[in-house]
Amino acid sequence: MTIMEPRKHGDASDGTVGGRQTRFEGNLKVTGGATYALEYPVEGLAYAILVQSTIPAGRVVSVDAEKALAAPGVLMVLTPDDDMGLLVASDWGGNRPENQPYYPLPRQVQYNGQSIAAVVAESREQAVEAARLICITYEQTPHVASFNDTAAGEGKVMDNLTSGWGDAEAALADAPVQIEGEYSTPREYHVAMEPHGLTVKWDGDQITVWEPSQWSHGMARSYSEWFGIPYENVRLISPFIGGGFGSKGAALAHGAVAAFASRKLGRPVKLALTRPQNFTNYGGRAATRQRIKIGATEDGILQAIVHRGASETSTYADWPEQTGAATPILYKVENFSSQHRVVPVNAVTPGALRGPGKNPSAFGIESAMEELAYKLGMDPLELRLKNYADHDYQSGKPWSTRRLREALTEGAEAFGWSKRSHEPRSMRDGNQLIGWGIGCGTFPVIQAPSEAMIRILGNGRVEVVSGAIDMGQGTYTILAQTAAEVFGIPVDQVEVHLGDSRLPGAAIAGGSMLAGSILGAVHKAATAARDELIGLALNDEKSPLRDTGANTLTFSGGRIAAPRDQGPSLTLSELMAALGRDEIEILRNTLPEGATAQEQHQAWTSMAKVQGPTMGEYSMHSWCAHFAEVRVDEDFGTVRVSRIVSAFDCGRLYNPRLVESQWRGGIIMGIGQALLEEGLVDQRNGRTVNGNMGDYLVPTNADVPHIEVISVGVPDYGASALGGKGVGEVGIVGVAPAIANAVFHATGKRVRDLPITLEKLI
Amino acid sequence: MTRTIHLSLDINGRRHELDVEPRVTLLDALREHLALTGTKKGCDQGQCGACTCHVDGSRVLSCLTLAAQVEGRQITTIEGIAAENGELHPVQAAFVEHDAFQCGYCTPGQIMSAVACIREGHAGSDEEIREYMSGNLCRCGAYNNIVAAVREAAEMA
Repeated sequence: MTIMEPRKHGDASDGTVGGRQTRFEGNLKVTGGATYALEYPVEGLAYAILVQSTIPAGRVVSVDAEKALAAPGVLMVLTPDDDMGLLVASDWGGNRPENQPYYPLPRQVQYNGQSIAAVVAESREQAVEAARLICITYEQTPHVASFNDTAAGEGKVMDNLTSGWGDAEAALADAPVQIEGEYSTPREYHVAMEPHGLTVKWDGDQITVWEPSQWSHGMARSYSEWFGIPYENVRLISPFIGGGFGSKGAALAHGAVAAFASRKLGRPVKLALTRPQNFTNYGGRAATRQRIKIGATEDGILQAIVHRGASETSTYADWPEQTGAATPILYKVENFSSQHRVVPVNAVTPGALRGPGKNPSAFGIESAMEELAYKLGMDPLELRLKNYADHDYQSGKPWSTRRLREALTEGAEAFGWSKRSHEPRSMRDGNQLIGWGIGCGTFPVIQAPSEAMIRILGNGRVEVVSGAIDMGQGTYTILAQTAAEVFGIPVDQVEVHLGDSRLPGAAIAGGSMLAGSILGAVHKAATAARDELIGLALNDEKSPLRDTGANTLTFSGGRIAAPRDQGPSLTLSELMAALGRDEIEILRNTLPEGATAQEQHQAWTSMAKVQGPTMGEYSMHSWCAHFAEVRVDEDFGTVRVSRIVSAFDCGRLYNPRLVESQWRGGIIMGIGQALLEEGLVDQRNGRTVNGNMGDYLVPTNADVPHIEVISVGVPDYGASALGGKGVGEVGIVGVAPAIANAVFHATGKRVRDLPITLEKLI
Repeated sequence: MTRTIHLSLDINGRRHELDVEPRVTLLDALREHLALTGTKKGCDQGQCGACTCHVDGSRVLSCLTLAAQVEGRQITTIEGIAAENGELHPVQAAFVEHDAFQCGYCTPGQIMSAVACIREGHAGSDEEIREYMSGNLCRCGAYNNIVAAVREAAEMA
């Protein structure tokens, strides 16, 4: 695809790394010209619709599809009786069981809303009508609706998440000041604006999949493994993604169903999940609960933290939402103990949702810290600064960079924290109680190898080519800025091609790891391409720059010249013409030298080569501090967030305009989490009863005040080649406790279970 | 049901002829039958605003409007608001300038809503813009920038 020329604003430096360049693909998005997965013109489409279970547990005894098959336009009905001949694909780590059959429409029902049949018809309307005619007979078995169900039990301890040092229980018992609380968060959902779905087409044993993807290479691998075809035979195309937030990183059962139907019918198939199906076809954030005990001295020095958490998982896979993820690294504490359990329930396996683990974890510890502050009669800001962690007490390693102190102090200054009156219910405006609260957040720096191609074209344009994706974080823009900087050309002289599994491999757009990872590869490839061009320009006898006697060249203002004005200067296209070259193409990756083809494939299609935050000498994380003001109607208990100031340490910002947008987006999702969002489960049948956008409430424009965001970071070249740390996830972490703490300050009521709805305040 | 009806729809100043089942929505007619995919399907239930179009200048949810209902009326979609020469509508330009979107999926609906919101005279203050733009959800959370973009476009109008 071709990117339209962006509007250029501000000064020329906007187009280099760190500049405020407007969104590179902006014009396509505001004109309707950006093409999302279900919008590709494919001839001869058939339409598939899923049918989902209406019981939470049991077995499909029979599917009566006679009426559906007789309905107008119906081409096919797929049920658990159809053996699709598929094999289980690898997990994220790249591990794969041998020859294990895969049933995307299984006979065993493990949750309400599980896909168990599909109807394919000439039109979507016909498929929808026929799907209603399918009659399923079940054999129902007892179910566990949620982890609050008495039948759920305590679940199992995740040993790999158990963490501790010192003697936490003893130090807690000895501490003169103690607090204890249980904090819980409900099931939460991604609610990306673009529903899941795909268009799929076979040409012989080659398959093309147009599907929204946070990871084109990883998802292509699943299709190849399901169908037993070479990886090279799969092409997954995803240049635009209508939001993912963690939900679009893996190929899912409905993709296998659509691909199988397409192959069997011998025609392309489009399958779109309905909005309600998006609430059960893949998992959101698991419900969590955690008990936190803190012991401190009377002047507020932490002595011990004891943390015991649990999250829901499904009956067929363990997915921990790590309630102890942020607990050990936010504060200095010499005695610590944390344990996390998963409790199987009859629900779809939960998944990653913005700030996985860190987010509910921060709700616990940051609420508990303010409870301690009020018990001590101490300013919560002072308590946090007093217990500032000078290094990572969990890994024992020094921080690479940690400007959380600056985030707290500069955030407090911008917010006006010093004007706070400490006592709860002591600030008001008429019948509105006003409260202020703080919540800190963190997210680890995760790195993954990536690969990128740079092409210098004869016409002087530079192409950046990568299988990386852009779901709105700004990949197009920052890749263009990087190439523009290396070649000293304006951004509109750069083209960026993304979102295709046939292009060079890249890290997943998840875990806030893509920007740091892919920029390293693009910068390396662009620098190598520039070096190649310099070599040609200084040595090729046709080059006008050969006689300058220079040993290098400068690239600036769109022109290439010897340093200190020795001799002529040329544009890229003039130099390419002089050299008689149509194209210079350079491919580089950030794997160690000499990585085999097998290792490269593994790196692009699995998480096997991903590096965590403490795998090197340092402990590397992004940090933030949120300051929230709420106004609570004293009579009705309605809570409005009236002001937020958030200060971030995310290292160097590649494009502050886009980073600020992502931070605000995370904060807004945090406002939803604090006040609105809650998946409601009918205990009788395990059904998510509010699985739609009118009943599962996400923030609207009117729910959101102006949000001030501040960067306090410094470049961290240990965290990434160009000095940035992750920005996408950390924004949401700490928002919910900041709001809960503000609600306590306003009302004197401590709400420990999210969301904070008005009945909890009256 | 297999019966189709013939419709003549006036979209973005152009006449389109199509044969569809009477139950086909305006949204599906645009996206599946006329290759006008700028209008987005977010929920198909009238809850998210991504499918917002104009019918005779007023904003409507095209997922809750049957194609057959709008025959003889003027339909405008996101593809129809820029100038003939490709110059962006002031609201579109303001959205780019203020970074009023991230993934871009709610954006056509936001922009169609914003154009109508300004025309309705409901863009007089930030508070009013927030209220009258609240039928359009944005999960990426571009609301601050949407308000700034609408305000700027309204001031220029």
